[in-house]
Formats: sequence, structure tokens, C-alpha cells
Amino acid sequence: MKRMLSLLFAAAMAASLTACGAAGGSSSASSAASSSGADPATAELFAMDTVMDLTAYGDNGQAAVDDSSAEIQRLEKLLSRTDADSQISALNNAGGAAVDTGSETAGLIGESLAYSAAVDGAFDITIAPVVSAWGFTTDSYQVPSQAELDKLLTRVDYRRVQVSGSTVTLGAGQSVDLGGIAKGYTSDRVAELFAQDGVSSGMISLGGNVYVCGSKPDGSAWRVGVQDPNNSESYVGVLALTDAFAVTSGGYQRYFVQDGKTYHHIIDPSTGYPAENGLISVTVVAGANAQEGTVSGSGTMCDAFSTSLFVMGEEKALDFWRSGKYDFGLVLVTDDGRVLVTKNISGQFTEEKDSGYSYEVVS
Amino acid sequence: MKSSVKLSFCRWDILVIAVIAVSAAVIGWALLTRAAASGDGLTAVITQNGTVLESVDLSSIPEGESQEYTVNGDYTAVVELENSRVCIESSDCPNQDCVHTGWISKAGQSVVCLPNRLVVELTGTSGSDSGVDVVIG
Repeated sequence: MKRMLSLLFAAAMAASLTACGAAGGSSSASSAASSSGADPATAELFAMDTVMDLTAYGDNGQAAVDDSSAEIQRLEKLLSRTDADSQISALNNAGGAAVDTGSETAGLIGESLAYSAAVDGAFDITIAPVVSAWGFTTDSYQVPSQAELDKLLTRVDYRRVQVSGSTVTLGAGQSVDLGGIAKGYTSDRVAELFAQDGVSSGMISLGGNVYVCGSKPDGSAWRVGVQDPNNSESYVGVLALTDAFAVTSGGYQRYFVQDGKTYHHIIDPSTGYPAENGLISVTVVAGANAQEGTVSGSGTMCDAFSTSLFVMGEEKALDFWRSGKYDFGLVLVTDDGRVLVTKNISGQFTEEKDSGYSYEVVS
Repeated sequence: MKSSVKLSFCRWDILVIAVIAVSAAVIGWALLTRAAASGDGLTAVITQNGTVLESVDLSSIPEGESQEYTVNGDYTAVVELENSRVCIESSDCPNQDCVHTGWISKAGQSVVCLPNRLVVELTGTSGSDSGVDVVIG
């Protein structure tokens, strides 16, 4: 009987092993299949004075990442102020003569001028000579003298830039820097390439400029953390986004200290000094309005407005949002510990517990 | 006799399945609690020019202790690693943006030193916490 039992036990083990083997076979096959779908194509690039991360899921993910990487390199060559061969350098060195920059660069400059007009000069690509005087383009930071700033500020005025077709003409002594808009424009171009390549789930982060394509592969929204400017280990909150652009501007990372005073890199075009208007971080969020195969981009707008609204301060920024001329949402962090979230995106925003901020929904 | 053999075979089969199921549950639970106890299973990945220099499982560093990792290149930077966080402690780069960034402790966060093309990124599955896919700011 004992022998019979052990025989039975052995038979049972063998049977369970067979079953196990069969189940194991099918599960490993499905995990291989799902992992080829789950592993995204990724790339990391250093361009436009920042680090860029690209992620795309699906069969065409690799093609989309490759196309986007090439596009980023093309745009950097086109739009960089520090590349002597770029069209922007050609324009800045033309001494006020008309320059045929090509329709893409001229179009982007034209768009910049329109945003400048919308925010009454709080954003201005002709701030370039002032930013240079502060050394922010060369990493050799210094506080310029008031006399030097006064002289340079006379050259800052977006209204003196003329765009006609593919031709751009700068005013006397002017130079332009598209640094406040180029990354946003690049995110729009990448969004278009993702759509063209048929990517329905992906994400890019271009140094403070984020575009999320579709939703995550599991169908849930992308979770975008908004950095806490006062605590590097925390967020002020998390935005749940699908098909959207989000851009943050703040002065809490790129700055220098001289004689005990902190100078950050976002220059107010009206004073020539770092903007000090009560905001320490501005996040602008806009839907990508993704249609099949196309994206009507708004990363450029988010980029321009994040800088503009940081310069404008809380009251003017919210007035501009309330004007409803452009469709976007805001997360503002004030220097007195408040986080303001506009009503149109408050449903997508989750406060960070125990962050120490007081939260307000603005309408 | 034949039918009784068949019957006991089924019982054994069920018993074996039950034993396997229970041990799987126990092992699974043990693995999960272990991961939760070890600071969300964060890994600090140090890359330069896109090449991974070092990948450190932060839970392998005892609480209250720290490790330093020195990165050479155009500039010299010291990465400081603790059980649940990491920072660029010092760098002789011209702009110090990386040092200004401070400590990071959540998956998805990174510290970047552009002049040195150095990125310290935290990856891992942060459990219930505020797991994010990307951080802006």
C-alpha cells in the first residue's frame, strides 16, 4: 500500500509537472510578445543647451525616435544663437540688413512676435544682448553695470523686427535669441513626427518642455510631476495628462550668487534684471488636439507663455489666462507659499500631501 | 480498484496544486514586502554622453551611510548616493546648475550637468507613492 501511495504521488507530480510545463510554455510566449510591445524605443540627446529624452511605444517607436532625433539636430543647427553657421547667427550678424532665413525660421520669428504682442512685451526675442551681458549664454555669469544695461535695453523691442515672407530684418543693434521658444517649437515638430510615424503612445522631455502622446500603453494618463521649487525631493503636485504639452519656467536651478544676492536667468525685458514679480515657478499646460495623423501643435505657445507669465507675475498672469484669448491651463507657485491651479485643469491636478503649500483653484 | 485509483490521483493533484499555490503566494508576498521596505527599489543610473558609467541599487547602501562616485570628463563631479536619495555633491563645472538642483529621491527625477554631459537619473518602480512618468521644472 505504501508503495502504491508513493507511485500515486509520483504520478500526481508528473501530471502536475506536465500541466505546469504547458502553462509555462504559453505564459513565456505571451510575456515575450507583450514585452516586445511594452519595451519602448528611447533616446537621450544633448541639444539646445539641455538634455532631451524621447520615448515611443509600439511597432514604429524606433522609427519615430530616430526621425525625431534627426529633426532635433536639424533644428538646433537652424535656430542656435551660439552656432556661427545657423540662420539666427546670419541674421544677428547682418547689421540690420534683410536676411532670407527661409520660411521656417521666419515663420517661427513671426510667431514669437505675435506672442510678444499678446503679452505686451513680457516675452521678447530681442532680449538677446541683455542675456549675453549677464553671461547666461556662455556660463560666465556676471552682473552688468546699470549703464551697460540702460544702453542695451534701448535695443530691446520686438516691434522693430520685420518679417516678410521668408525674409527677416532686425532693427539697429538688435539681435535675437529663440531660446525661449525653440524647445517648444521642437516639441511641436516631434509631436508631428510621432503622429506621422503612427505612434499612439509616447513621451518627450526637452529640458522643462514635455509632450505626452496619447496615453500610457496601459491606457492610463501620463503622470507629470511638477517640481517643487523649494524642495528638490518633492513635487508641488502631479498632472494627469493625455495628448498634451506642459512647460515649466522657474529661476530656481539656473542662477548664480554674487555679493550675497541671487540672480536667476529669466530676464525681465522691461528692466534688464532677473524677473522678481512674486512667482517662483510657472507651468503652462495645453492640449495637443491630436487628430488622426496630425497634431495642431501648441508646445511653442506653452514655451513662450511660461516665460512671459513668470515675468508678468501672479495678477497679470491670471488676467491674461482669464482673457481666454488662448486655450491653456496654469499651475503657479508663488514666493509666499501658494500653489494656484486654474479651474480648467484642476481636475487633472493632484496636490502633493504635506508639501507645506496652500492650494487654490483659480477661476 | 480502478475507480479508487482515479479518485486518489485527483486528490493528490489538488494537494500538489494547493501546495504550489500557497508557496507561490508566500514567496510573492515576501518579495513584495522586501521591495517596499527597500526605499521603493530605486536605482541611480549615472550616464555621461549617453553611456552608462554606473548603476547603483540605492537599497544596497545601508541607512545613514553614503557612497561617493567621482565622474571625470571635461569637469570633475562627485555624485553622493544614500539609501533613498542622490545628488551631485560638487562639480567644478562653470555654472553649478547640477549642484543647485540638490537631492532627488523619486523615480523619474534626474540631476543634469550640461557642461559635463552628465545625467544622474533615478529609475525604479516607486510603489504607491507619487510615482510619476516625468518631472517638469
